[in-house]
Amino acid sequence: MSEALLTGAPRVTARGAGRMTGAVHAEWTKLRTLHSTWWLLLGIVLCTVGVGALTTGSLSAGDCLARRTCDEDTVKLSLTGVWVGQAAMAVFGVLAVTAEYGTGTMRVTLAAIPSRLRVLAAKAVVVAGLAAVVGAVSVLGSLYLGRVLVLDAGFTAEAGYPPIGLGDGATLRAVVGGVLYYVLVALLGVGLGAALRDTAGTLTGVFLLLYGFPLVAAMLSDPDWEKTAKRLSPTEAGLSVLATRNLEALPIGPWAGLGVAASWAVGVLVVGWAVLKGRDA
Amino acid sequence: MDSIDGTVQVRGLRKRFGSVTALDGLSFTVTPGQVTGFVGPNGAGKSTTMRIMLGLDSADAGEALIGGRAYHALRTPLHEVGAMLDASAVHPSRRGRDHLLWLAHSHRIPVRRVDEVLEQVGLASAGRRRAGGYSLGMRQRLGIASALLGDPPVLLFDEPVNGLDPEGIRWIRGFLRSLAREGRTVLVSSHLMSELEDSADHLVVVGRGRVIADTSVRELLATASGDRVSLRTDARTEAMTVLAAAGATVASTGRDTLTVSGPSAEKVVQLLSGAGVPFSEISAHRATLEEAYMELTGDVLEFAAAPVDEEDAR
Amino acid sequence: MTDTQTPPVTPYRSTAVPAGRDGFVQLLRAEWTKLRTVRRWGLTLLGAVLVTVLVSVFAATSSKVQFAGGGDRGPEPTGPGGVRIVDSFRYAHQALPGDGTITVRLAEFRTGEGSTPEWGKAGVLIKKDAAPGASYAALMLTPGHGVRLQNDFVHDRAGSNSPAGEPRWLRLTRDGTTLTGYESADGKEWSEVGAVTVPGLTGTVQVGLFVASPMVDTMDRQFGSVSVSSEPSRSTAVFDDVTVDGGSGDWRHTDVGEQPGGDGQSSGPVGGEGESSESGGRFTLTGSGDIAPAQYNTDLAAMSLSGTQLGLVLIAALGVLFITAEYRRGMIRTTFAASPRRGRVLVAKAVVIGVTAFAAGLVASVASFLIAQPILKANGHKPPRFPELQLTDGPVLRAVLGSAVLLALIAVLALGLGALLRRTAGAVATVVVLFVAPLVLVTTLPIGFAQFLQQFTPLAGFAVQETLTRYDHVATLCLPEEGCYPQGPWIGIGTLLLYAVAVLGLAVWRVRRRDV
Repeated sequence: MSEALLTGAPRVTARGAGRMTGAVHAEWTKLRTLHSTWWLLLGIVLCTVGVGALTTGSLSAGDCLARRTCDEDTVKLSLTGVWVGQAAMAVFGVLAVTAEYGTGTMRVTLAAIPSRLRVLAAKAVVVAGLAAVVGAVSVLGSLYLGRVLVLDAGFTAEAGYPPIGLGDGATLRAVVGGVLYYVLVALLGVGLGAALRDTAGTLTGVFLLLYGFPLVAAMLSDPDWEKTAKRLSPTEAGLSVLATRNLEALPIGPWAGLGVAASWAVGVLVVGWAVLKGRDA
Repeated sequence: MDSIDGTVQVRGLRKRFGSVTALDGLSFTVTPGQVTGFVGPNGAGKSTTMRIMLGLDSADAGEALIGGRAYHALRTPLHEVGAMLDASAVHPSRRGRDHLLWLAHSHRIPVRRVDEVLEQVGLASAGRRRAGGYSLGMRQRLGIASALLGDPPVLLFDEPVNGLDPEGIRWIRGFLRSLAREGRTVLVSSHLMSELEDSADHLVVVGRGRVIADTSVRELLATASGDRVSLRTDARTEAMTVLAAAGATVASTGRDTLTVSGPSAEKVVQLLSGAGVPFSEISAHRATLEEAYMELTGDVLEFAAAPVDEEDAR
Repeated sequence: MTDTQTPPVTPYRSTAVPAGRDGFVQLLRAEWTKLRTVRRWGLTLLGAVLVTVLVSVFAATSSKVQFAGGGDRGPEPTGPGGVRIVDSFRYAHQALPGDGTITVRLAEFRTGEGSTPEWGKAGVLIKKDAAPGASYAALMLTPGHGVRLQNDFVHDRAGSNSPAGEPRWLRLTRDGTTLTGYESADGKEWSEVGAVTVPGLTGTVQVGLFVASPMVDTMDRQFGSVSVSSEPSRSTAVFDDVTVDGGSGDWRHTDVGEQPGGDGQSSGPVGGEGESSESGGRFTLTGSGDIAPAQYNTDLAAMSLSGTQLGLVLIAALGVLFITAEYRRGMIRTTFAASPRRGRVLVAKAVVIGVTAFAAGLVASVASFLIAQPILKANGHKPPRFPELQLTDGPVLRAVLGSAVLLALIAVLALGLGALLRRTAGAVATVVVLFVAPLVLVTTLPIGFAQFLQQFTPLAGFAVQETLTRYDHVATLCLPEEGCYPQGPWIGIGTLLLYAVAVLGLAVWRVRRRDV
């Protein structure tokens, strides 16, 4: 990876790009060498796939087909685990920053790489990269199990449910969107972690943000208020990208919803950067 | 309070952490009325032993008894054993005084005792500040205060000198001695013998989970390889011949310097003068505790640094 | 170098400190001191109260109801004991001045178009008079639940499980205020369904045949959206071999009460007028309606306590931190050195955090209820469509106190998880995944799985916030969206209690065995 970090050759370190890859390499080494990172990432995959399988496993087409309309979104149901896995993903993003503050490593980091922007960017790059890989494994795993379980539940081609496959445009959108959503949740954690620094406080904040909005939205009985709350919520809006059927019932379009989640992530990252820059380490 | 005989007995302690043997049959006794130094290199098993004494870790074999009883059997431990393990083990948002307050409440110790011990360790004014803002030395003092809270006959301190400034080090040495003079059992661990040189009466030296020496300071010094004399002379060969003939062990330590073991400095001067060998400088070298210790632990260092020249050669 | 002095022989005896005592109370005091001396934790507790109250108030503020026709109706009928009721059915009856018996053969019982209501009713009924809400006792056959003996709306007793498709003999005997029901398959061998005492049935009463056919709720539920539609149903019952001993006067045919779903100003009952005819001792009755306690769909008390769902995040974080903060700094060693009996320490911690969370939760739930109720009322949630709730009503009190208990149990559960995992992040995330994620998910999951989560995960504790009385003999949809927990409040909070005790027990067991 980075020659600069290994040899310290001045020719390379003078270049901005070289310094950035050095910072990224350093962050990658920091994350890679912690056991907890890998446990957490495994936890994300297990949560996502497990909850997805529980959901699709509990499905039964019989209940559904007896009703007047049956329009279960089997892809979305297979990906229900994302609702739970995002908690672990947020922890991953948060800990990437707050664990350093907790142990005092942050001072060492900033002494080694004085540019706060570069430190935060490097963290974001590494966390986002890992989140994307883990997200892809989780989402594809959930979908594969979902495909099997949904067929078992009787959602067959004859019942109007072609097997779940990536050939379908909407399904592909759900997969790509789900992975991107995971990346955004991890980045949200990084940004909030940089802004608040304390593990417990940041986690409380990020969970209130992720789950508080949908909870509050569900309490509102006024449909307009409810819709507005769902549109603003990083979770409700962001996860509308998982829908493959009945899109008109969504509070916001799939990609626009992911855009809302992205705005949250970027906004929080900017706040995190401002705090990192403005406050003593 | 139960009457307690302040003897601490450690018998055949064994403890493994995975593949690492931390304690390998450790046995010793700490008696009241003196400061016992518990020394050994880093990783020798000092902290593990102290945690087992306090019932925090369980030993795979053996036992640690305080006044003949296991720590778990003590009903009011703060009145029987005071311990300071890790000075930074304080919640940073809690004020120093409040940290002592909850400890006091756990044994129904009156609040005035909290202020007493704060006064005793010199934290009377800092007690109302948050512990997070304390310097390492202040935390060390807070830890000592918490050990003293129940006014116990047995005191265990794990590396109490760490982080103290010179004034603080002087203070704690005198303090440990005064505690022992009151008839208490005082066990002080350290990885630096020099820290204990002026305060300990008795020493338990451990390495790799075993007791290497359990002796008084005086005896340890006596077993150390005696006194030496450093000599600077232009006539090195002659001097060596003369001294060796007189039964001394002579080592050449430089182009014009020699180290002589065996005879005293006066005897060396006498010998050299008698033989007419010129010398420009002579100094007597008394063995220190540190040297005695290094000699003892030299072969059991857990994390010994490689000699410098080897590193360069690589 | 130092000289070695002769050690004094007398062991040290403290004079400075009086002998302490070993006891659980001291542990509680020590843990309480720990809790109250970290200012941030106090702020967290305050935050939990504020979040709970604000979210509850927000939910109340944003929920408005409006009714076509202004929503002003006459008072809904109430039955004996003041329970709000539905009392509308087709009744063919005559007077019964004293004791007597009615025996009929229910030859046929069918529902017209649409789906069959499981609690459709046809049979014999003795009622004080034909006014809605009057005291009654009835023996009936239902399409979904066999033969039932019901009286005064809220009482229900099951008879045989005979299907509605087969003819059934029914007999109801009045002896003073004691009514006894019998059923038979052939009119010869009778079995007693039960005897009930109905204090209101004194003097001259009405005796006769009836049919009622309630609204059928159908639900269309998908990921994230649910629509419930209610449709009236209409059933027909044919009776022959009708004998009334002790009856007097002519048969009269009455539509008792207002039909459900009407708003008082429309001209006729929703299900259409009832019809009945008699020819040669054979009665044919057709009608809609129901004889049952009225069900509210909106649980106003639970609604005004909804902030608990978010407040719990802060309480859980506090519960976790109360133990993991000690592990993180190594302070747990000081704690366990001072009190070597670790299980007791953990229990003392649980008591302190539990009581504290209960107190904070009580402040939060009482404030939420008192502030949210007037707001809800101003937004249209008022009698007669919605009940007037008082803090001192039994179910409301249960919900308000229960919310505080709920938060206390969550704090204890969080503490136990913190002791097991020792890591702040892991424990906080686990609590959130256990409580908050399911709270969000139950509204979007298939109903079977959602109800499984509601019944068997710690989430069940939220059932304690329900105040609606659910009667087994009324068909209701129990939707997670409406905060309905199928198992009822007590079993729900009991489930959470079991979880909390189990996790704490596991933590005690683990902490006693593990090195610190």
